[in-house]
Amino acid sequence: MTGDDSPFESVSESDLRERFERADYVADDRTVTTVQLALDLGRPLLVEGPPGSGKTELGKVLAAAFDTELIRLQCYEGLTAENALYEWNYTKQLLAVQADEGTVTEEDGGSNTRRESVFDQDYLLERPLLRALRADGEHPPVLLVDEIDRADEAFEAFLLELLSDFQVSIPEFGTISADHPPIVVLTSNRTRALSDALKRRCLYLHVEPPSFETEYEIVRRKVPELDAAVAAEVCAVVDRLREESFLKRPGVAETLDWARAVAALRHDDADSLSADEIERTIGCLLKEAEDVDRLDATLLEDLRAAAAAADDRLEAEPT
Amino acid sequence: MTDPDPMDGATDDAPPAADRQPLDLGGSVAESAAPDFRAARRHVLLELLRLAADLRSDGVDVPPSGPLTAARALASVGLADKPRVEAALRASLLSSPEGIDAFADAFPTFWHRLRTGLDAIATDDGGASPDDDASSDGSAPDDPGTLPDAQVPASGDDTGGGETEVLIPTERRYASGDRATEDSETGDARRYSAVGGRERVEVPAGGLRDEETAAIDRFVDALATLPGRRHRDAPAGDRVDARRALRASLGTGGAPIDLPRTEPTPSELRCCLLLDVSGSVLDTIDRAVLLDVAARLTDRARQSRVFLFDTDLVDATTAFARADGDPAATLRDAEFEWGGGTKIGAAVDAVRRQHPAAVDRRTVVVVISDGLDVGDEDLLADAVTWLADRAGALVWLNPLAVSPAFEPKTRGMATALPYVDALFGFARPADLAEAARQIERRGLGGPIGYEHDPRRQRAEAGGEGE
Repeated sequence: MTGDDSPFESVSESDLRERFERADYVADDRTVTTVQLALDLGRPLLVEGPPGSGKTELGKVLAAAFDTELIRLQCYEGLTAENALYEWNYTKQLLAVQADEGTVTEEDGGSNTRRESVFDQDYLLERPLLRALRADGEHPPVLLVDEIDRADEAFEAFLLELLSDFQVSIPEFGTISADHPPIVVLTSNRTRALSDALKRRCLYLHVEPPSFETEYEIVRRKVPELDAAVAAEVCAVVDRLREESFLKRPGVAETLDWARAVAALRHDDADSLSADEIERTIGCLLKEAEDVDRLDATLLEDLRAAAAAADDRLEAEPT
Repeated sequence: MTDPDPMDGATDDAPPAADRQPLDLGGSVAESAAPDFRAARRHVLLELLRLAADLRSDGVDVPPSGPLTAARALASVGLADKPRVEAALRASLLSSPEGIDAFADAFPTFWHRLRTGLDAIATDDGGASPDDDASSDGSAPDDPGTLPDAQVPASGDDTGGGETEVLIPTERRYASGDRATEDSETGDARRYSAVGGRERVEVPAGGLRDEETAAIDRFVDALATLPGRRHRDAPAGDRVDARRALRASLGTGGAPIDLPRTEPTPSELRCCLLLDVSGSVLDTIDRAVLLDVAARLTDRARQSRVFLFDTDLVDATTAFARADGDPAATLRDAEFEWGGGTKIGAAVDAVRRQHPAAVDRRTVVVVISDGLDVGDEDLLADAVTWLADRAGALVWLNPLAVSPAFEPKTRGMATALPYVDALFGFARPADLAEAARQIERRGLGGPIGYEHDPRRQRAEAGGEGE
């Protein structure tokens, strides 16, 4: 099942952690172990979690960390095998047949002029999945199948052969299998349930909103221009906001947006966040009109209090 | 199609998987002179299978090949580091966030059993044979001193067969098939009488948690009957798939001979909800949950009608449509009454006479009732026959059927059962996820219902063993 000479078998956990570190990706122990297992066992990794929790980022970081190609397939409703895997270059085929340079049949009878079949490499347009299988390089590429839940169930079924054997069959051409199986990362927002057959082939990673300390670490790395004390306040406010039952709870992506917004608005003063400031920039965090409506004076005061207490929280935690 | 028995399927496969790499048994084992690797491996695999079986009985959807992957994963990460083992098992046994809580509950027990068993094998001087040790590991010596970080499971040496509880745990309060006993005689008389004392709808607002909402949504999706926007291949479909037709025409020199067709995939639900709000139902099921589930169900379906019935039938469709997340308040404001006796036959008959348009062949009728009918039996049989004939499907959710001891022997339930497509237990929203799972797997015509619930089957197996 797994390529025995896969270059990833030797990747140790500490090595992986270091690579994540260098790519500025703050990963908890569970994520590191799961990713290492996926590399080790040659299994696809199914990452689920709320939007904005860094699922797609994980795929990108993996590619960056191993200095290899990232092949991304964004799924959408109506995505078909032709868009994702391969397509024959019909125009070129048609021209070749008309110019008598190629033929659609296998054997060409007793004709002396050698004509090649138009079902050949030259007429094949590689789409992301095929590209991932045929890529050659030092490291196999990272194949990121993004938001698989948006694709039709038929497409999901189509992925099964690819994910279990890392090979695809092209009827006119034959079976293409990968020399080095790519690292496959699938992400899902859970807008619909995935089939058991797909889930069974994957290792499962559920990304949860990060803890206060982890989020602080992420903000510090990704938004270095923001003052450290204010960054702590930003994280504390988001942490408090997540306790509310909003329609769309802010994810890490929203925190980073907001941190950048705060950094852009206040230039170098290091006062703590005011309620007014929070209210004016809340559009970075809450993306539903009803959620924004729920932001009343009491909640704002709570948020401000959480921001004020942020420094103590950070000091209480040994870092 | 049911899952293969996890024990059989995986024990055949798992040992070769573990053969590939010797298991890293952690410090204590490695130090001893001649550890019994065969017994250790057997112990690890048995514990793994037990964990998977425990998770399944908690309703977690563990893939059949989950234990196999888990064994490979353990061979990769070793058995010494608790967080890594936890991460590895989580990645290989779970496939949806619903199982995370159950896993968090089950893992400490697994870890404790695993480590105590391995330590016992490592320090074993060959006194007991490996097989004895592995098969009796449920009663392996519990030595708290060797394992400072493991939690002793609360259930002690109980191996899980008897753990399944008969009570129905809901988050808000416990409901069971048994009547509350503290009520006075008049209370009982009210519940069982045909006319009963009715009362205003008066319920504190409930609110559903995310996973509960997800369970309801899944149930609605599983029942979908109306065409949605997605298309799937169908030989007799009504639309030509232009893309595939073009592609096929290439083989015939550009002449489109073969026209592949598609039909819309059913993804929307038209439903008619018949809600039994008689005293007996209201005492078995949490009222706020009942209303919240009904509200979410109607909200999620594309078209829906809601009827409340005890001895009378009322159309509550508009009330639920206006509910906006708080059906209890809306029903209270509209001065609905509930809590009378149960006359299912009369209620369905009233739907037939007063609201015949509420049910058509694409409608799924969902009845939530305990089937404790006190009305006319013939009328019930007539009415349910009409309902089953006319509706696309008839799904009955019975609050009593979650109990493993449930049999549909009450007069009302026994009369209605032959006409019902599926009878499921329903006491909390999570039960709908189990119903949805069965419908997704086997379809509405398949062998589905309360008797195929794995939790019930497990309880029956446990009961026989005792």
